[in-house]
Amino acid sequence: MQMRLFIPREQARVDDLNASLEAVLRNNGISREIQGNVRLIVEELASNAIQHGDVSGLEAQQHELCVDIGIRDRLLTLEFRESGAPFNPLEQPPPDDLDAGILERTTGGLGLHLVRQVAEQASYERIGDSNVLRLTLSIPSAGSAP
Amino acid sequence: MSLDIAVHPPGRGSQRVSLQGRLDTHTYEDLDEALAPLLTRQLHSLVLDLSGLDYISSAGLRSLLKARKALAPHGGKVLLVDPPPQIRKVLDIVSAVPLNEIFASTAEADAYLDAMQRRIVEEGDGDARD
Repeated sequence: MQMRLFIPREQARVDDLNASLEAVLRNNGISREIQGNVRLIVEELASNAIQHGDVSGLEAQQHELCVDIGIRDRLLTLEFRESGAPFNPLEQPPPDDLDAGILERTTGGLGLHLVRQVAEQASYERIGDSNVLRLTLSIPSAGSAP
Repeated sequence: MSLDIAVHPPGRGSQRVSLQGRLDTHTYEDLDEALAPLLTRQLHSLVLDLSGLDYISSAGLRSLLKARKALAPHGGKVLLVDPPPQIRKVLDIVSAVPLNEIFASTAEADAYLDAMQRRIVEEGDGDARD
């Protein structure tokens, strides 16, 4: 199974994206736990791109977010693509002092930390005008869920 | 799915709020608004029942931290009750955050609150609590 979903860079549309992804995952028999992990990754990456991404150098019609989702064997792959200034979410520092600085901080530090922890593997590539992040999650075989 | 927020009748210096659904970018402002009038100097425990929560993201965590920060200056605490495994996992990932009071059940949280009340009485601070 492989499919691609696009949304405009608008926070209100992130929930639509997640609703679509959830339907796809459910139809493919993916557990609620993995559905939750995918929702978390997509919400954090999309919100971060929408709130902090620099799209000043782009034409309006390029202001899109794109998610490719693939399910093969016991592996779920997500490819998150956003056009904008170069930004590698994997190179952002972990939120080391959450307690002290949290209200001054944007949610970005916290959100990207969650993405890095939830995904089993993640890699970043700059392709043309886009930041491309590839993530994988393994799917526990049926019946082995706790 | 959205977020349902049930604000229970206030107790002695404690306030219970139950959350159901998703606490995320789309709903955290609803929670902030619901909690704002409750976070007074008189409140020493905000008890958040998370047993009905399906999902939390960093935006939701930030709301919890904001409540904690609002209560902290006068010694108030945010207690989290019965977070389901998926929620617990996210709380654990950000364990650097001292959301230090997580309870398995409302009974455990109540026992903790009772113990805290007793300690206040034993320490004999003359504040009228209500």
